[in-house]
Amino acid sequence: MPEPLLKLDQLHVGYLGKGILPPVSIDVKPGELWGIAGSNGCGKSTLLKTMLGLLPAIGGAVQRKEGLGIGYVPQRMSLDLSMPARAIDVVRGGAVGGWSFLNPTFVSREKESIERAMEQTRTFDIARQQLAELSEGQKQRVLMARALVSNPNLLVLDEPTSAMDNPTETEMLTLLDELRQERNLSVILVSHNLMGMASVATHGLLLDREHQLIIDGDIRDVAVHHEVHEHFGRLLRVVVEERFGPLAEPEECHACDH
Amino acid sequence: MPATTSLEAFWAAWPLFEDSVLTGVCAGVLLGVLGVYIVLGRMVFLTAALSQVAGFGVTLAFAAQIYLGAGALLASPSLGASVLSLACLFLIWNNQERERARRDSMLGLIFLVGSAGTLMVGSKIVQELHDVQTLLFGSSVAVLPEDFRLVVVFGICVLGLHLWWWRGFVEVTYDQDTAMVRLMPVNVLKLVLMVTIALSVSLCTRVLGALPAFAFSVFPAMGAVLLASNIPRAMGMAAAIGGACGFLGYLFAFVYDFPVGPSQAMVGAVLWAGTAIVSKIVAQLR
Repeated sequence: MPEPLLKLDQLHVGYLGKGILPPVSIDVKPGELWGIAGSNGCGKSTLLKTMLGLLPAIGGAVQRKEGLGIGYVPQRMSLDLSMPARAIDVVRGGAVGGWSFLNPTFVSREKESIERAMEQTRTFDIARQQLAELSEGQKQRVLMARALVSNPNLLVLDEPTSAMDNPTETEMLTLLDELRQERNLSVILVSHNLMGMASVATHGLLLDREHQLIIDGDIRDVAVHHEVHEHFGRLLRVVVEERFGPLAEPEECHACDH
Repeated sequence: MPATTSLEAFWAAWPLFEDSVLTGVCAGVLLGVLGVYIVLGRMVFLTAALSQVAGFGVTLAFAAQIYLGAGALLASPSLGASVLSLACLFLIWNNQERERARRDSMLGLIFLVGSAGTLMVGSKIVQELHDVQTLLFGSSVAVLPEDFRLVVVFGICVLGLHLWWWRGFVEVTYDQDTAMVRLMPVNVLKLVLMVTIALSVSLCTRVLGALPAFAFSVFPAMGAVLLASNIPRAMGMAAAIGGACGFLGYLFAFVYDFPVGPSQAMVGAVLWAGTAIVSKIVAQLR
């Protein structure tokens, strides 16, 4: 049994001491792709930021495996695209971490990692273009390359497909799945699009703030969870069955812990 | 607009104004580079507030020397400007996590107290009237050699540090959350960035006046980010535009008999307009 890279132990998230969701407990293991989905405002990004240490937890704990490297792709809206930067400049910036900026030659020594990240995200041909002038899909690929430069074990993406049309979104999710397999990455993907997430996720974490409901586990278990139909619709099961074939009704529901 | 004197006269008088012109050039280069962070980090109003409060610090130092006598000899104008600027920075730093409206109000408060305080205290300093007016209107025709040397040495130190740490400063300005995830010392970087900006603005305010200090920290960077393809190039361009503002502003003021600070600010505005036009043309040609 591989050791989890990230372990959420009864993690309680919220603002100003007030929780917005029930406590969450999941283990993210190597090679897993966790999709976090739910409606707008349900607390997906709050949970993600608390996991990453950007927001304080109300309770519980986040345990990281020693030496865990995290690549983070924030919501594109949080980035200022008026900053003059070519795609290559943005990707190079991904090499900086800790106090490495004190060494002026650090980034040039990461040339191989930068090239590998750009090759895998297919961003070489747009390297000299201004980030602000790229399409949504291209921008997202550049940001993914930036997150991969440090060769992380865990890639965390916050709504990476929010401004994309359907074909671009499918292309992006396929690329994400390819990267996971090529690099043996663990991935945490936050999305408001449950079906898109279900088309690539190995595990799911569904949030419903209104009903204070959390459903988590293997995506096949989540898809047949008895509360999923009621709160998230029937399409999730359809998408998961397209990937894995017909799903049996669970004798014992592993995702019903909450 | 008829020239009141000639270009030849400017060069003939160069030995007299050399330090003043070069101080303007150095301040333009220094604040031009830092201005890239100010403009992209949306700290323009912070700089406006700091330049006003630095002016208040200078007038308070003059007042202390006059009214408190020998006991206040340590209260130099540069020290007054630096102390008040850093105190305001501390106030703003403590409010940075609060909602945006509250931070804006705090900047407004600092700006207004700085402006009103400078005018009120300045009106009571008859002995240093010229220095106070220089500060208020940025009309510094002459700069003392020691002030010129101070600007040069301080500028080299600050620019050296920024040349060394620029990747860290850029990452926290561009995407603070990701910098935190990458375990970068975000608070150290932000603090060093803000302190170098505050001290640079306060020193240039003390030597040249609030108006040119504010103009140098905004116009060159505004123009440079329109044209440059990345941050290092934007900083190089902003330094060049800032230096040009310092020199051409002085030249314009000399030839057409205008006050120096406002001339430097107007040259900055003209150069920004030029870069905006060029960037539109370049965009059309692509």
